[in-house]
Amino acid sequence: MKRRILYMAVAAGVLQLTACKKEDLEPVPTNVISELSAFDTELRIRGQVNGLYATIKNAGMYGGRYQIFNDIRGGDFQNDRTNVVTGFDVWNYTPSNSSGNSVQALWNRAYYAINLVNVFLEGMENKGTAVVGDAISKNLQGEARFVRALSYYAMLQLYARPYWDGNGSKPGLPLRLTANTGSGNYDLARSTVAEVYAQILEDLNYAEQNLPEAYSKPELNTTRAHKNTAIAFKTRVYLSMQKYGEVITEANKIVSADAPFKASTGIAHQLQANYATLFSNYTTTESILSMPFSDVEAPGTQNQLGYYYGSSAMNGGNGEYSLLSTGIIANTGWKETDARRAFIVTSGSKKYLNKYPRPTPFTDWAPVMRYSEVLLNLAEAITRSTNTVDARALALLNAVRQRSDATTTFTAGDFADAAALADAILTERRIEFLGEGLAGADLTRLGLPLPAKPGVTAIQPTQQEYIWPISSTELLLNKLCEDN
Amino acid sequence: MRKLVMLLLGILMLGGQLLAQTRTVTGKITDENGNPIPNATVLVKGTTAGTSTLEDGTFSLVIPASAKTLVISSVGMATQEISIGNRGLFNISMTKDDKDLQEVVVVGYGTQRKRELTGNVSTVKGAEIANRPVQSFEQALGGRAPGVQITIPSGVLNSPPVFRVRGTNSLSLSSQPLIVIDGIAVYSGETSSTAAAGNALASINPNDIETIDIAKDAAATAIYGSRAANGVVFITTKKGKSGKARVSLDSWAGWNKVQRLPELLDAFQYTEYKNQSLANAGTLNPVTNQFYLTDGPDGKPINTNWYDYVYRTGFSHNNSLNVSGGNESTKYYVSMGYSEQEGIIKRNDFKRISALANLDHKVNKAISLGAKMQYSNEKNLAAVSSGSLGDAFATAGLGRVPMITAPNIAPYNNDGTYNYSGALIGVMNNKVGQAGFNNPVIQLDKNRTNAENNRILANAYIQIKPIRQVTFRSQYSIDYLFVDNEIYYSPISGEGFPGGSATSIYNQNKRWTWTNTLQYDETFGSHTFGLLAGTEQQKSNNKSYGLNRINASDPDFINIQGGWANPNASGLGIGENYLLSYFGRFTYNFDSKYYLTANVRRDGASQLGINNKWGTFWGVSAGWEITRENFWEKAGLDNVFSSFKIRGSYGRVGNIDGLGQYASLSTFGSGLYGGAGTLVFNQAGNPNLGWESSTKLDLGFNFGILNDRINGEVAFYKNDVDDLILGVPTPPSAGIPSNIPTNIGSMYNKGVEFSLNTTPIQKKDFTWNANFNIAFNKNEVTSLAPGVNSILAATGGLESPSITVPGQPVGMLFVTQTAGVDPATGRRIFINKNGQQVFFQHVVPAGSGGFRFSYADGTVAPTVSSADAIVYKNTNPKYYGGFDNTFRYKNFELNTLFTFQGGNYLYWGTYAGLRDQRFWNNSTDVLRAWTKAGDVTDMPKSYFGDNVSNGSSFPLDINVFKGDFIKLRTMTLAYNLPTSLTERAKINSMRFYVAGNNLWIITDYPGPDPEVSSNLTGNLNQGIDRNTVGNARGITVGINVGF
Repeated sequence: MKRRILYMAVAAGVLQLTACKKEDLEPVPTNVISELSAFDTELRIRGQVNGLYATIKNAGMYGGRYQIFNDIRGGDFQNDRTNVVTGFDVWNYTPSNSSGNSVQALWNRAYYAINLVNVFLEGMENKGTAVVGDAISKNLQGEARFVRALSYYAMLQLYARPYWDGNGSKPGLPLRLTANTGSGNYDLARSTVAEVYAQILEDLNYAEQNLPEAYSKPELNTTRAHKNTAIAFKTRVYLSMQKYGEVITEANKIVSADAPFKASTGIAHQLQANYATLFSNYTTTESILSMPFSDVEAPGTQNQLGYYYGSSAMNGGNGEYSLLSTGIIANTGWKETDARRAFIVTSGSKKYLNKYPRPTPFTDWAPVMRYSEVLLNLAEAITRSTNTVDARALALLNAVRQRSDATTTFTAGDFADAAALADAILTERRIEFLGEGLAGADLTRLGLPLPAKPGVTAIQPTQQEYIWPISSTELLLNKLCEDN
Repeated sequence: MRKLVMLLLGILMLGGQLLAQTRTVTGKITDENGNPIPNATVLVKGTTAGTSTLEDGTFSLVIPASAKTLVISSVGMATQEISIGNRGLFNISMTKDDKDLQEVVVVGYGTQRKRELTGNVSTVKGAEIANRPVQSFEQALGGRAPGVQITIPSGVLNSPPVFRVRGTNSLSLSSQPLIVIDGIAVYSGETSSTAAAGNALASINPNDIETIDIAKDAAATAIYGSRAANGVVFITTKKGKSGKARVSLDSWAGWNKVQRLPELLDAFQYTEYKNQSLANAGTLNPVTNQFYLTDGPDGKPINTNWYDYVYRTGFSHNNSLNVSGGNESTKYYVSMGYSEQEGIIKRNDFKRISALANLDHKVNKAISLGAKMQYSNEKNLAAVSSGSLGDAFATAGLGRVPMITAPNIAPYNNDGTYNYSGALIGVMNNKVGQAGFNNPVIQLDKNRTNAENNRILANAYIQIKPIRQVTFRSQYSIDYLFVDNEIYYSPISGEGFPGGSATSIYNQNKRWTWTNTLQYDETFGSHTFGLLAGTEQQKSNNKSYGLNRINASDPDFINIQGGWANPNASGLGIGENYLLSYFGRFTYNFDSKYYLTANVRRDGASQLGINNKWGTFWGVSAGWEITRENFWEKAGLDNVFSSFKIRGSYGRVGNIDGLGQYASLSTFGSGLYGGAGTLVFNQAGNPNLGWESSTKLDLGFNFGILNDRINGEVAFYKNDVDDLILGVPTPPSAGIPSNIPTNIGSMYNKGVEFSLNTTPIQKKDFTWNANFNIAFNKNEVTSLAPGVNSILAATGGLESPSITVPGQPVGMLFVTQTAGVDPATGRRIFINKNGQQVFFQHVVPAGSGGFRFSYADGTVAPTVSSADAIVYKNTNPKYYGGFDNTFRYKNFELNTLFTFQGGNYLYWGTYAGLRDQRFWNNSTDVLRAWTKAGDVTDMPKSYFGDNVSNGSSFPLDINVFKGDFIKLRTMTLAYNLPTSLTERAKINSMRFYVAGNNLWIITDYPGPDPEVSSNLTGNLNQGIDRNTVGNARGITVGINVGF
């Protein structure tokens, strides 16, 4: 009997013992940071700002795909792979609402970045500003709002009718300005194009006022926004709105009256003497903003500029797009001796763009904006707003051309009228920024047709295909959002 | 092996010289009441000498002088062995054999006799699934039990089957049942991070399994509370029995092949057809854009059948050896197994070494203890992606590559070197940019993507029985699963181009479980009680890490340890989860007539939100054995029914399987930007996240007729699932990084199961056993989240042919409708969302004034896309089941198992690719494409580059087909060596067999196999066949020897 009691006691004891691990029910992950403490330290707050840039860089937004989509909507590239994952449908103007790698991916990514900005701004207001102090907080909020402006701008170029169509009265984008972190009703109609542009400008103006003039080293000056970055972007934004007076006002803040053109305040932006430098040294003063890559920060599969534009013989690229023989490379005014022709290489029977020569994992930095664009933005704005063959516009054009081709000088006599000069500036943009993501937006902002290409008919500005459709997922889940 | 065959032949020839001297015996066989039993079998043990009784139960039999024992058997009666001695007259009374109801069933933390069971449990014997050409036991379960549906997702070896008990019971979590092996809930599901599938359950050698009990209703599963909603599968491994050591050797070898591949264009058809398509598109250019044949080394045009380079006849063999035995106090079972299997895809192999030891020891009357130790090593091997493991659109996918690659090019150049250009296969004489994706031969020769599992499953227990009524048991177990993943892509061409890459990821999963139970049993007169109380803790830790290296310094470096330019972290992961439980069970029966069981379990789980960690689950059930009532006998029903039990159960259980370890938390993840650390809001959590709950009702009856010669079971069930966890999608423009997991949806499964086990014929030399089961299931999703009218689900990340909407079953096909091909113009006709016909031509002839999309009247129409898709067809089978027949004639045995299902549709997305008008090769069906006005055909005019009219760009109804089928799953012909011979050879038994697998299929499905799943065990995207490798067909030959 004693033994039985002993057994029972042991059994009861063991049953008791097993009930003492309740803290294991609330494990804390060791490889992520809780939302509760994300604004606790300056390190974490600065990490979030870096995260904002990383978000518009990653998964193929400004890190490559946005540029590629705009390049291949132009008339200078030939699709050789017929692969919708790498933009075949974008190239032939047929992406659908459900095109996962273009229409949906860019929409998702841009809005993810926008919400991160909103989460950041709210977190700074609630806690972060107290942690880092008011001055740093304003700097960082300026960067955040700059990223938001870039994200809205990228989407406007693809998902909305251009500003000229109804003076911005057409449907733009759902304008998200508050932090979304949990469940809720997120139905929101599209604001007008003008309203979205207004927000972009408000963000860029805030950024201009609050960003620092410079950072501690060139790598940061070219990968993070400073005062001049915000100003430079405003020239691009106003140009898209055809508000040429404002382009001139903004550009004049960072472009001297006469050659050599350069910025006199903040980072001393100016053209580099050698065009080739730009694609090996990414941190010169000509690079206003680039997205950095390295072996430990690779662009990821099928996002890499070099993979799309390089052939296998050049850099092990996939030769997704060769240069269309009838495109800008056929331009006779673009001389063979022009330094920019050096980036066109022949591989097999085709010609390819070699601005992104690094082999896999294709870590060339992705250019987002260069100073030469500001010069050409200004030249075009002067030309279109004055409707004259203006001497300064000519000087700006020549600055860009002669950097690569000293033997060509545009003179007033070369142009019958302002329109001819404007066309020359557009041509210069195609040459100068080939493969840098300006072509598509340059067509739509001016109401030019999307060009015909082999097997693809041209798209007139009135056609539905002129802009992308809205993501089908958005249409499904946001009852107030309407398709194009 | 040859020696063994010679020996056996010798034994067979000796057999003819037996039966020298004889004498005659007579007798009468009666039942317990003295009624004669006709057709009873009387057999001399160990011989084929025997007879059947006459109508009056009498028999007369000539027996050899050496005969020692008579074996008397009859359907429904307990078989008897009678010593002959010098007797001449045998009057024998037989007793009812209700062994089916005496069988013991595992019910979780204990066992119950089948007759006492009030829950719904189906039992499958280990023998039914042993010695089959499968990698894991559950692959062989299809058709064996009512309400259990097994779909092997592809012909890739060791992909975890879709295992459904009574339908799909979750949307975003797992719908796979809980697997409990020898009392321990173990890791299950996919373990591999490579293109070789690695089912965790393949570590169990099917030959070590004694029984599989599948618990389906709340009563049977509630003791597993929060993990029970998808059913619980109890695996019991073999244990030793008292007596002298028994040795058993099982070996088989088999061959298998791919079947029913789509017929493709040959080089000549391809070249002509594609050039016509180019001409139709207006882009044919002899210099820059035209297809050409290329002469091969033999001077004849190359005409490649790419299937030949990807598929093979796979050879497999499997060997198991076990020794078991013991005495009153100690019993043991030890086994070793070795399996080496080749898949139908080249280089897809599976190799397993397994060892198991089960030891039970009784120290004294009160204390017993035991231990189990199982180790296994599985090598899951492949060269490259199959495109069948959820990666339907992988450009290297071996299911897809042979269908896409141009047949007018070859894997080798004429000088014998590989044909490639950069990452892609070279175009040879074709003047086009591309004629295929990767060269599969380079991939198969050079690459590898393997996952090697090492697993230890071990436990030890002590059981103390201080007094007769009380049993205390404490069991501690570990389940350690280590996976070594290794991927290498050659730099030559394909996925590794350029530079090559090597990746290794080590993944460690460790789980311990400690279970303590106290059982109390007591009987007062006709009242029998049982009471169980217990606690259990289960802690699981996982950790993974690896390197991805690219740009080999030398082509001979083929692993991460070699010289490479870039090292990047790969496969990093760490996490833990914990489940703490208290449970109890009460059983009661009165006079073996009325039965009552109640189960309860309270679980706390770490994965859930801080506000909802704990849940209580329960199940009650009752049974009534009517045959034991007096009125039943009075009504004379006992003459028909040997047993008739009505039972019912009701309860509530849960599901968290597949929920992320930190799913309830909102987190910020870290990366890099320009070398600086980042912090990014990457997961939106939910502090209220709780269980998915299933309220299960089950009503049924079991019956036996004619002394259980016919017995069966009918069950009606309804499973109401609510609080379904949905990652509630928000509009992408809200920018929330992840769908927020919320307990919000509801659905139900209801149906009827019917099973019948009969012995239509039992004669001396011939018996026929037939088992039939069928289940009808209806699934309906009743609600999703407010504001969420539907959930789209993707296949391979590229298309979304699946949608789940309230009022319809889970995973409906979501496709845009078509209305054939316009006979006048050859244009594809779509039906847009407004029901209007829209005519599509990929290329608008210049100057025609036409449009890509236009209405019937020629005016421009908006682009048709997936935005015009409709909720189209159901992917859930309405019925499924199996029909198992065993015929025994003397020592021969023929077994056939048919499985069937129907009422469901599949999306054969592969067919969209087979009609894609890019460079892709096509099905020969495209040869009937429209060419001139008046052609009535289902294939539109071909325009090179057209990926819209066939379903590549967005899913179309033309690629949806019925999934009904009947398969001859297995057919086995076996021969058992007569005992007279085995005794001479000093062995207990010997059996030879030849078996066919998937030999025959009746289906209207045009793809290779209607029983596949591109999205594996996914719920929302089930019923998709996109570039999937179909299941193999094959034969095996084998031998079982017992010593």
